[in-house]
Amino acid sequence: MTGAIQYAKRRFESARAAIGAETGSETPESTTDLGAAGIHFQLWLLAGLVLFPILVTVVVSTKQQGIVTSLPDLLPGTYAVENYREAIVDYGFGRFMWNSLLMSVVIVVGKLVVSVLAAMAIVYYRVPYKDLVFLFVLFTLLLPVPVRFVPLFQLMNDLGWSNSLLAITVPYIASATTVFILRQHFLSIPTSIVETAKLDGVGPVKFTLQVLVPMSRGVLVGVSIIMFVYAWNQYLWPLVIIDSEANQVAQVGLQLLQGDVQGGQLSWSLVMAGSVLTLLPPLALMILFRKPLLETFAIQQK
Amino acid sequence: MSTREIFDGRLEAALLLAPTAIVSLVFLYYPTALAFRTSFFDSGFGRVPEFVGLENYASLLGNPEYHSSVLLSVIFAAIVVVGVISVSLYLTFLIHEVDAGQGWYLISVIWPYALPPAVGALVFLFIFHPTLGVLTGPIEALGIELDWFNDGPQAFVVVALAAIWKQIGYNVIFMIAAMKNIPDALTETAELDGVGRLRRLVSVYVPIMTPTLFFLVIIDTIYAFFGTFAFVDLLTSGGPSNATNVLIFDLYREAFSFFNFGTASAKSVVLFLVVAALMAVQFRLTEEYSYYGA
Repeated sequence: MTGAIQYAKRRFESARAAIGAETGSETPESTTDLGAAGIHFQLWLLAGLVLFPILVTVVVSTKQQGIVTSLPDLLPGTYAVENYREAIVDYGFGRFMWNSLLMSVVIVVGKLVVSVLAAMAIVYYRVPYKDLVFLFVLFTLLLPVPVRFVPLFQLMNDLGWSNSLLAITVPYIASATTVFILRQHFLSIPTSIVETAKLDGVGPVKFTLQVLVPMSRGVLVGVSIIMFVYAWNQYLWPLVIIDSEANQVAQVGLQLLQGDVQGGQLSWSLVMAGSVLTLLPPLALMILFRKPLLETFAIQQK
Repeated sequence: MSTREIFDGRLEAALLLAPTAIVSLVFLYYPTALAFRTSFFDSGFGRVPEFVGLENYASLLGNPEYHSSVLLSVIFAAIVVVGVISVSLYLTFLIHEVDAGQGWYLISVIWPYALPPAVGALVFLFIFHPTLGVLTGPIEALGIELDWFNDGPQAFVVVALAAIWKQIGYNVIFMIAAMKNIPDALTETAELDGVGRLRRLVSVYVPIMTPTLFFLVIIDTIYAFFGTFAFVDLLTSGGPSNATNVLIFDLYREAFSFFNFGTASAKSVVLFLVVAALMAVQFRLTEEYSYYGA
């Protein structure tokens, strides 16, 4: 006990000596300290601004009416369970979320498999006109949904795919971004490992499963999150091609809520509950897997 | 160099590439070609397509409403890009400089990367609602009459703010990586020379981060042109009186409200040219500045 007090005393004294030395000789140090507090303050303010709209959303989703006309009204209500139940059951968000999940998972798995195969061919096979093949894949970056959704709509009608899971998944399966990221990553795997595999007479299937996949775990997780967020947040294409409520996705489900609330048939608290539900899956995945996600982004930019 | 190419089978390689190639051809290249073709036809629901040559393009050239939509989109993109880049750069700098809690600050500003635009739109519709909004009271206390359901410029500002908010996360993700890559020695030298914080950002960090910033300017421009459809659709539906009728929304209406597939296809081709031009600029700049990074 006394030892601890003496230790604390000594620490205090040496700390005071250190402060004295600094303020005595170098004034810039103390201005940096002031700056540090200022930076925290500014960050609280700005990060608070970035978070504010979503905090309001969460709070309002727990209230009875969702009438919030002033800041003091921003205390949580007690209607959370009721509101979320109503959004999920009565307003179809259970169904919409399921459809969104199905769409996103099919796109992620499909893109991942198809892109691993393509990147494998581009990096590890002797292919004639390889640069041209890669260019053919990269060129699709110029063809985002907005450029081609009108003819794509007609094509889907001709194929009889409109209003189906096929229509909102298959066109997304080819991915320049994913092939590009995987190619960059494969190129960073040391050639010595690749050559060893060759000397051991490892075939392509074994090579993929025993060398490539284990060495690419982080990147595969990272691109999966990127693809999931992209797929889950799609709005324009499902809006155009899905016209039955049973097959609709969560993003367009929100549009249905917006119509009702503007017409006055719906309380805002319910719209906010739907919004929180729709935000949750991509946000949760992003926070859970932020490390591989950030590492994968670092590859993308190279 | 070619030591990575350990497999020979051409047929195997072709099979591996086939899924990507087929999906690209059928759902990406072919519809784009169709858009080009349809843009030379008068085409719509229940009409027999009729070849009209360049008439669709000529009518776009002579259409003042389309001109204002082009102008509007360019101004919108400029505001969104400048807004996103400057806010994100400053936020990134603060996080870079802070001595504790970096991880928490980072998460609290990069999360909008995951934000669905549709959710962002509804949240803004609520907090800025002219009669119910949380922020309406405080804003009107400043002497501004909030009436963006009827006031064009105000509607434009609300859509732009929502669009900027959503894109901050993505930008900070790339900027923090670039800023962390700057050698500590440079920072120390600047500090020894008595360069203040803000000047260090502007005169030391920004020049080194040029490749990343160019990359983000292009990505953000493409986002402003194409990724903001949900904001416009849910916040303003292009109104009031076309004040927020940006190109992507204009195209959507042409096709799915008016069912003029010919004109809509001509508008798609224009959008394609916009993307192509932006990508070309990005490619040139990346080549030119590549010696800075890596």
